[in-house]
Amino acid sequence: MSAVAAAPKNETLIDLQGVNKSFGTHQVLRDVSTAFRAREVTVIVGASGSGKSTMLRAINRLEPHDSGRIVVDGIEVNDDATSLQKLRSEVGMVFQQFNLFSHLTVLDNVTLAPRRVRQTAKAQAQQDAMELLKRVGLQDHAHKHPYQLSGGQQQRVAIARALAMAPKVMLFDEPTSALDPEMVKEVLDVMRALADGGMTMLVVTHEMGFAKDVGDRILFFDQGRIACDQTPDDFFNRQDSERVRAFLGLVGSH
Amino acid sequence: MAAAAVLLLVTLTALGPLLSWLPEPIGPNASQFSEGARTTLWLTLWSGTIGVVLGVVAALGRTSRHWVLRQIASFYIWVIRGTPLLVQVLFVYFAVPVLIPGADLPDFASAVIALSLNVGAYNAEAVRAGLLAIPRGQTEAARALGLGRRHVFMDVVFPQAFKISLPALVSNFVALMKDSSLAYAIGVVELTNVGNRIQAQTFQPIPTLATTACIYLLLTTLMTQFSNAIEHKVDVEGRQK
Repeated sequence: MSAVAAAPKNETLIDLQGVNKSFGTHQVLRDVSTAFRAREVTVIVGASGSGKSTMLRAINRLEPHDSGRIVVDGIEVNDDATSLQKLRSEVGMVFQQFNLFSHLTVLDNVTLAPRRVRQTAKAQAQQDAMELLKRVGLQDHAHKHPYQLSGGQQQRVAIARALAMAPKVMLFDEPTSALDPEMVKEVLDVMRALADGGMTMLVVTHEMGFAKDVGDRILFFDQGRIACDQTPDDFFNRQDSERVRAFLGLVGSH
Repeated sequence: MAAAAVLLLVTLTALGPLLSWLPEPIGPNASQFSEGARTTLWLTLWSGTIGVVLGVVAALGRTSRHWVLRQIASFYIWVIRGTPLLVQVLFVYFAVPVLIPGADLPDFASAVIALSLNVGAYNAEAVRAGLLAIPRGQTEAARALGLGRRHVFMDVVFPQAFKISLPALVSNFVALMKDSSLAYAIGVVELTNVGNRIQAQTFQPIPTLATTACIYLLLTTLMTQFSNAIEHKVDVEGRQK
């Protein structure tokens, strides 16, 4: 885990200032301003449609924001092709639906981006990929296709695929929401190990156990705004917001 | 796949000798039949190959972000699918040299152009359906990894879309083999032309035209088998296993 997260602790890695985003007449992000520091694990919670996924997707420009500024490690997030590619190779993303390339083997899924974007030689890329697959416990599945794997295994491959670009920060967009309950743990364990290794992580999830144990910071989104920005201890144990308590009651954490 | 290709080749080389065993009026004209079959196959292979390229290009145009490209591709598909192939074959052979002086092409090349343009328009819709069937998550994952537009398409979208389009492309290809008989109209000596000539010379329509039909049937069957083999080979998700 040491090769990643070279940035010193506490240095601001991602900075959002007054970010707005609307889908038609529906405003999903309202004047969102916050900063994410290196080696910090931020868990982002909130009801569905509250804007948490949209913020993640705005950070790597899968969803262009309407106004405001996002800066990732000194790179302005905009449509400039060169800076966009640099941005995306520094920001890894894991999706709810895994989104593995179904026509490629596990190994090819992991090596594709390093070979195409970083021009890594095939042999080197495969060696690095095997190392990553070992880390997520899937070295024996390298030559299988995604359809031959369980959901949990697919998601672990997706994590390895994102790590192959040696990103400075990892975005997780509800990584366990599409998994059967018995597979959630294997994915969370991989994420936990990643956090322990010092990776900067932004995790949108409904797994409150993970938020409590692994999170350094909890952001609670409500109607496109950051309604709470607290430590897990304050968030779960000294919560004075009625709104958050109602939410926690619904997701069943207490 | 290799086995299917070999079978196709063997059949073509063995066709002449095999037919020559047959009684009058087929036996004495066996070499003409096999020559015609070969011309039909060449017409199909050339037009089929160019048609796939045209189909991909037109499908890209149809799904392009640029308005002009979308309009050009839509116009091409609209015109080709809305007019008879026979008119297209005649147009390329007779009208194009008048419109573009010096564009006098031999009958075979004219037929290839007309057939390619025709099958290309149908292929475009097949490929477009494949492109549209790729889930958005696939391109998002590729973009999120930092892949550029070209790599997203070449490495992620196209291989998957092509596989989805394959059954439709194959059926277009088989239809093309039969449609290539319209090259007869501009004098290409392909299988239907041969069959009809011998029919007229021998006054025996039943054996001659039945032989012609049987050879088409043989070719399309082999072609379908060859395509099934390709489909099986690219079936990495194991849907058909």
